[in-house]
Amino acid sequence: MAEIFDRLVIRILLAGFVCLMIYLYRYAHVIFYPSVKRQVLKKINPAENPADALHLFARVVGIAIIFSSVAFNETSGFVLSLFHFAVWGSISIVLYLLSLYIVESIVFYNFDYTDEILKRKNMSYAVISFCHAIVIAYLTKTVMMEADNSIVILLVLWLYMLVIVGFSVKYFTFVTKLSFNRLLIQKNLSLCFAYGGFSLGAGIIIASCFDQEHYDITVYCIQVLLKTILSLIIFPIFKKGIVYIFPIKLGDGHEGTVDLDRQSIGYGFYEGCVFIAGAILTTMIVNRIQFGTIYPFF
Amino acid sequence: MYKFFLYLVLTISYLGLAKALSPSEIGVQYLQNEKGFAKILKDKSVSVILMDTHTTGFLIKTYYQKYRVISNYDNIEEIIVRTSREFAKKNMPNIGLSLYRKLDNKEEFLPVPPGSLYIGNPEYGEWRTTKSGTVKWIFWKAYKDFPKYFGWGKWRPTEPFFQGLRSSQSIGQPYYGLENEFGRNGRITRENFPHFFRSERSKQISMKDLLIEYFKENF
Repeated sequence: MAEIFDRLVIRILLAGFVCLMIYLYRYAHVIFYPSVKRQVLKKINPAENPADALHLFARVVGIAIIFSSVAFNETSGFVLSLFHFAVWGSISIVLYLLSLYIVESIVFYNFDYTDEILKRKNMSYAVISFCHAIVIAYLTKTVMMEADNSIVILLVLWLYMLVIVGFSVKYFTFVTKLSFNRLLIQKNLSLCFAYGGFSLGAGIIIASCFDQEHYDITVYCIQVLLKTILSLIIFPIFKKGIVYIFPIKLGDGHEGTVDLDRQSIGYGFYEGCVFIAGAILTTMIVNRIQFGTIYPFF
Repeated sequence: MYKFFLYLVLTISYLGLAKALSPSEIGVQYLQNEKGFAKILKDKSVSVILMDTHTTGFLIKTYYQKYRVISNYDNIEEIIVRTSREFAKKNMPNIGLSLYRKLDNKEEFLPVPPGSLYIGNPEYGEWRTTKSGTVKWIFWKAYKDFPKYFGWGKWRPTEPFFQGLRSSQSIGQPYYGLENEFGRNGRITRENFPHFFRSERSKQISMKDLLIEYFKENF
C-alpha cells in the first residue's frame, strides 16, 4: 500500500512540475512574440477575441503534444528525472517556438500577427495558425523521439524537418485552386479549412517519413529524403483519384459563380478532407508495404 | 503541362536517387553476359560454377545468380551477381555447371560440368585404373578437395566422359555428361546442389489451398 501511495504522490508531483513548465512556456512565448506580451500576461477573454484565444491555446495544445514525448525515468532518481524533464522540456519549448516562428514567417510573409489577430480578429488566420501549431508540435515530438536524448542528432533532424516543412508549405499553391493571400485578407473560411487539411496532411506524411529505425544518421536522412520524394509522387495520385471518384459541382452556369463557389466554406471542407485522406493513404503506400529483404539472400 | 513536367522530374529524381543509394545496388555487380566474367574475376586461374538463380520483382523482374568461384590453388568463394534477363534464362538448365573458366588468361565460356578445366591436365592429376577396372581421373593430393568444390560427390570422370566433353567442346555444344548427370535434371547436380532443388522451392500450391492456409493463419 505504501509503495502504491508513494507512486501516486510521485505522479502528482510530476504533474505539478509539468504545470510549472507550461507556466515557464508562457514567458518563453513572450520572448519569441514580444508583440503579444500584453495578451499573454494578462487574463485572457475568449469572448472578446476568439481568434486570439484559438491562436494562443493552439500553442498550449502543441506544447502538451511535445511534452508527451519526454519520459520520466524514476529508476534513475526523482530529482534526476525532474532535471531531465526540465532540460529536455526547455529544449523542446525553444525548438517548438523557433519552428513556429520560422514556418509562420514563410506562410504569413505578407501578414502581421498584431494586425490580423488583435485588430482584425481574422478567424481564418487563427485557424491556419492553429493547424501550424498542431503540425509543428507533432513533428517536433517525432524528431525528439527519433533523436533519443542526443542533442546533436536532435539539432540535425530538427533543421532537416524545418527544411522539409518549409518546402511543403510552398507546395500548397501547386495543389489548390484557392488564392492564399487574397482569401486570407478577406478572412475567408474556405481557405483556412483547405489549408488546415493540407497542413495536417503534410504533417502526417512528414512525420511518417521521419518515423523509422535508424542506426546511422546519414543513411537515416537519405531514407527520409527518399520517402519524402516518394510521398510527393504518390500524393497527387490519391488526390486526383478521390476527386475523380467523388466529383463536385461548381457553379450553375452563370459567369463568375464558379469562383464564388470555390470560396464557399463547403469547398474548403472538401479540399481539406481530400488532402487529409490523400495524405493518410500516401503514408500507407510509402510506409506500410513490406517488400521483404532487398539484398538478394538466397 | 508545367505540373506534368514537374511530376516527371520528381519521378526521375526519385528513381535516380533510390538507385544510387539502394542497398541492393551497393556491392552487387552486374553481369550482362558470360563475357563480363573477366571484369569481375581478376585471378589468372579461375573456374565459375552456377549454384543458384533467383528472381525478384512483380512486374519488372530482376535476376540474380549465385556462383561458386574456385581460383588458384584452393581459394573458394561464393558471389552473387545481378544478370540480364537473357543470360539468366539461357542458363536456367545449367545449374551446377561451370559457365566460365580461365587458365593462364585463356578463357572458355561453354557450359560444361564443373572441373572440366582440370581433367586431363597432368599438373592437376592423372588417369588411374580403379579396382573395378575402369579408368578414372584422380586429382593429386594437393588438389584432393577439388571434387568437393566441384560438387562431384563420389562420382569421378571416366575416359568416355572426357572424350564426350572434348567432342562437345569442339562443336561448341553445352555438355551435361554421358548420361546427363549434370545440369538442372542431372543426378549428380541434384545430389550436390540441394539448396536449389529443395522441395518447398518447387512446391506448387493451388489457389484453394493458398486461401485455406491464409484463413488458418489470419483468423
